[in-house]
Amino acid sequence: MSHFTPDPALDLVLERTIAVSPERVWAAWTEPELLKQWFTPAPWKTTAVDLDLRPGGRYVTTMESPEGDQYPNAGCYLQVEPNRLLVFTSVMTEDFRPVAPANGAGDLAFTARVEIEPTGDGGTRYRAIAMHAQEDACKQHADMGFAEGWGAALDQLVALMS
Amino acid sequence: MPKRSQVDPALPGIFHALADPTRLAVVERLSVAPASASELAKPFAMALPSFMQHMGVLERAGIVTSHKSGRTRTYQLAPGSLQLAAAWLSEFRNHWERALDQLDQLLITTNPAGVGADDEPTQHKEQP
Repeated sequence: MSHFTPDPALDLVLERTIAVSPERVWAAWTEPELLKQWFTPAPWKTTAVDLDLRPGGRYVTTMESPEGDQYPNAGCYLQVEPNRLLVFTSVMTEDFRPVAPANGAGDLAFTARVEIEPTGDGGTRYRAIAMHAQEDACKQHADMGFAEGWGAALDQLVALMS
Repeated sequence: MPKRSQVDPALPGIFHALADPTRLAVVERLSVAPASASELAKPFAMALPSFMQHMGVLERAGIVTSHKSGRTRTYQLAPGSLQLAAAWLSEFRNHWERALDQLDQLLITTNPAGVGADDEPTQHKEQP
């Protein structure tokens, strides 16, 4: 995979070496029944997952709060390199069709990059990067709980796939 | 200091709820129009559970209210609580304006020759 250098002003990075093989990490991200089990920090749940795993393919994940409120999220995949790299974005839907900016929330666009590299001893050097268009959006994502959310989800991925 | 018999018990919770950049941004956003939780948080799915804790703080402080329509929750500002905070803060402004008026009087009294009288002693009386 091409080397990507995050921009500290615009990107948030979660980097960790985990004792899960690249193939298992890939499965956790790309098989709906697995994704449902780790993607959302408990006590929240992921209740519906619809993935079309190809560049330009859609993803829809629906989260449910402990109170039963539902929060759908949709976007499309940009790069799909099995066991190595998954890139997806919220600014386009199926077949790269642009999303109309939400009312007053148009600056929350983001692209995520999940990098999976073998460590040599069966584990994975895992790096997840959330890229933003503006420093404000990056800071907002950080303040909203990027590190807690992505970290807690990764803990759940490791627990599920170990 | 302003004379008060007692502080409104809701005030500490209101100021606590406002003392956070994420929650302030939400209040600013909701001052434009009501928004669903998804609109406020989209598309940061994995951060959503953390973010909703912020919404809980704002709602418990009475700064926002929410209602559920189907399986979507919409938030709007509850202006009453911010008026409570604004009223509390404005008492300090009144207090300092009175104090500065008294300082004016004192300076005029003790400086009958009017030395420095061109220094616009009434500037602070301007209303914003």
